[in-house]
Amino acid sequence: MTPLLTIAGKDLRLLLRDPRSAVILLVMPVVLILVLGLSLGEGFGRKPDDRIRISIVNTDAGLPPDAGAFPTKPWSAIVLDDLADTADIRIELIGSKAQAEALVRSGARSAVIVFEPEFSSRVHRCSFVEEPFKKDPINPLYRDGMDTRKLGVTILRDPTQQVSSAVIEQVVQVTLMRVVIPWMIGQAFEMIGTDEFMARMDKYIPGLALMPEAFRKTLGTGIQKGIGGFFRNYQFTAKTWAGLTNSTPSMKRDANLTAYESDGRGVIKRGAIRYQILVPSYTVTFAFFLVLTVGWLFVAERRHGTIVRLRAAPLRRWQILLGKMLPCLAISLFQGVFLLVAGKLVFGMAWGPMPWLLIPVILCTSLAAVGLSMLVAAVAKSETQVAVYGTLLVLVLAGVSGSLMPRDLMPEEMRSLSQITPHAWALDAYSQLLANPDPQVTIVLRACAALLGFAVVFLLIAWWRLRLD
Amino acid sequence: MTPFLQATDLRKRYGHATALNGVNLAIERGELFGLVGPNGAGKTTLLSILGGLIHADSGEVVIDGQPFHRSDRNARRRIGLGTQDLAVYPELTSRENLLFFGRLYELDTLTLKGRIDDLLTAVGLSDRADDRVGGYSGGMKRRLNLAVAVVHEPDLLFLDEPTTGVDPQSRHLIFELVRKLRADGTTIIYTSHYMEEVQALCPRIAIIDAGVVKACDTREKLLKLLPATLTLEGVPAAEPFRSVPGVTTASVESDLVVLTADAIAPLLPRVAEVCRANQFTPTGMTVSEPTLERVFLHLTGHGMRDS
Repeated sequence: MTPLLTIAGKDLRLLLRDPRSAVILLVMPVVLILVLGLSLGEGFGRKPDDRIRISIVNTDAGLPPDAGAFPTKPWSAIVLDDLADTADIRIELIGSKAQAEALVRSGARSAVIVFEPEFSSRVHRCSFVEEPFKKDPINPLYRDGMDTRKLGVTILRDPTQQVSSAVIEQVVQVTLMRVVIPWMIGQAFEMIGTDEFMARMDKYIPGLALMPEAFRKTLGTGIQKGIGGFFRNYQFTAKTWAGLTNSTPSMKRDANLTAYESDGRGVIKRGAIRYQILVPSYTVTFAFFLVLTVGWLFVAERRHGTIVRLRAAPLRRWQILLGKMLPCLAISLFQGVFLLVAGKLVFGMAWGPMPWLLIPVILCTSLAAVGLSMLVAAVAKSETQVAVYGTLLVLVLAGVSGSLMPRDLMPEEMRSLSQITPHAWALDAYSQLLANPDPQVTIVLRACAALLGFAVVFLLIAWWRLRLD
Repeated sequence: MTPFLQATDLRKRYGHATALNGVNLAIERGELFGLVGPNGAGKTTLLSILGGLIHADSGEVVIDGQPFHRSDRNARRRIGLGTQDLAVYPELTSRENLLFFGRLYELDTLTLKGRIDDLLTAVGLSDRADDRVGGYSGGMKRRLNLAVAVVHEPDLLFLDEPTTGVDPQSRHLIFELVRKLRADGTTIIYTSHYMEEVQALCPRIAIIDAGVVKACDTREKLLKLLPATLTLEGVPAAEPFRSVPGVTTASVESDLVVLTADAIAPLLPRVAEVCRANQFTPTGMTVSEPTLERVFLHLTGHGMRDS
């Protein structure tokens, strides 16, 4: 075994026998993630959103086979479009009715709107007129607005949050009216002047039945146009709210429509979205607590007098320094992998669509942490100095970088400033890989390059400053 | 014959303080050489330079005919350093400590393991070989410290105060190992401020004080620098003793008659005869042989613990 590996093996053994290192590097981050995960709400890490959240379960089976040319998509989709186009509303789609019931039961949602499987077919049957003009018609209107039960809409309510659930119900009522009323008016107006319509008019207009067929058609068309002429601001046959009111349809607001994000399961909320932020944040923060471990390692070598023996042995300076650096790097890599594995197994964190890219991020973060640790070891001469300088440095860097809070919430200027810390680059890389469904590999690689740059600069200064005598 | 280790005009200053001021030494191969002096005399600095830990400001060190430089790794392989302060890892066992330091010298594992077993036996640590050193007594740590210094079988061994603060049993084991190493041909420089220890172990001794070698000679010759004394109580005059063969001086000091001679034993019957002839009845008698400490006092003008 070469002397370099001998030193590395010895230091690794010393590190493994030092319970302080295990507590600081492995136990503390897990405990902090756990405590914060339990104490923070599900909104942690997201920008404040004052819009009303309308939670919806869509089990609509779609239009009936004989629906005709209008509409071109299920009525539930049209309702969702209308909601999405509404200002100050955001829509959350929940996967199943059972999940929605659980959320309402637990008080996590005050109300959830459920489009039942028959929703489209029922809306399609809504009509002002009856047979024979409309087969098996439904009249959804009643004193309070739209009768949701007739439309195949179920509203799950939390009885302890009546005000909030009433607001949500009113929003949905208005939307249903904007969708269903133009549909009913359009159908009714299309009927005016048809042969069936004129035949029914015989009993109200004496002699109409004696008129020639061609005149009756002309009369019917004329009546329809005439009525339309009286209401020039409306297009009665449009069947949509924008068409009916001759208004411009609003721009589609895709951002208003989001899938429901679970707040985790069990006591520790496994799988909650906040762990996607907490785990990488504390993985990065505690990666740099390596400065304490490495600093103590160097100080102990001086305190025990063994540095004298190393200097007396037939070793080169680089063998001693590299021999001490390698186990620190190994410990740091293990720590990074351990925390991400713990994040997945304990906290249910997802590794994102490109988990293999986490490896270079862990490696580059560890190299930067080792570089900074060697720098602190070069400056600090006692255990107290290591503790004071190291802790101060790590906490300040963590604060500036945004490791202690979601970086998305930092002011723009502060985010730019934070790029002077290796933490910020590491967090950007983790953010891409763990929070972005479509990670930008370029950003990840750029962050890795920046971390390597930090590592090189730190190590060069440490190499220059470190004294073994 | 060319000395195995030769130091010529070594000088070293720390700021305004002079640690070594032109030290010259020549030590033969296989010699157990004592270096005595009070704390701060420059012993550790001298050993640090000879061991390649620090540079001298000027002067030269030659080992086995070759000029020695700190960067000479082959020469450093031949040197063992028994440090004044303990230099072992308390979190490791003594076996692990020995294995680690042996491997730094790239010894093959099989040879090293045998050597470690022998050393652990020699320093009386076989029973505790696999216990962490942090739990050892001070004497056990000292013994291990010595074992670590010689695990790679150095040709040249520097022992800097190896018995500081140890119990008699540990001191005995350390002495035994030092004697065995010398018997095996290791050249040893043994420093201590315990004069009696050096006097007992080392055939040749240098006395160093304030960075200067005051004397360097065999133990016997150094001791002959001072006479032995015989002090008589209750004797009224020194004059009758001046003619006694072997007596160098005879004087009265504080009501005591003090006789000096090269050796006291042959003198005793003659002194008894003079007392009888002069009807002197001594009430007390003290014999004082020369010691290294007295020699040091004589050479430096101050005691070991006055510095």
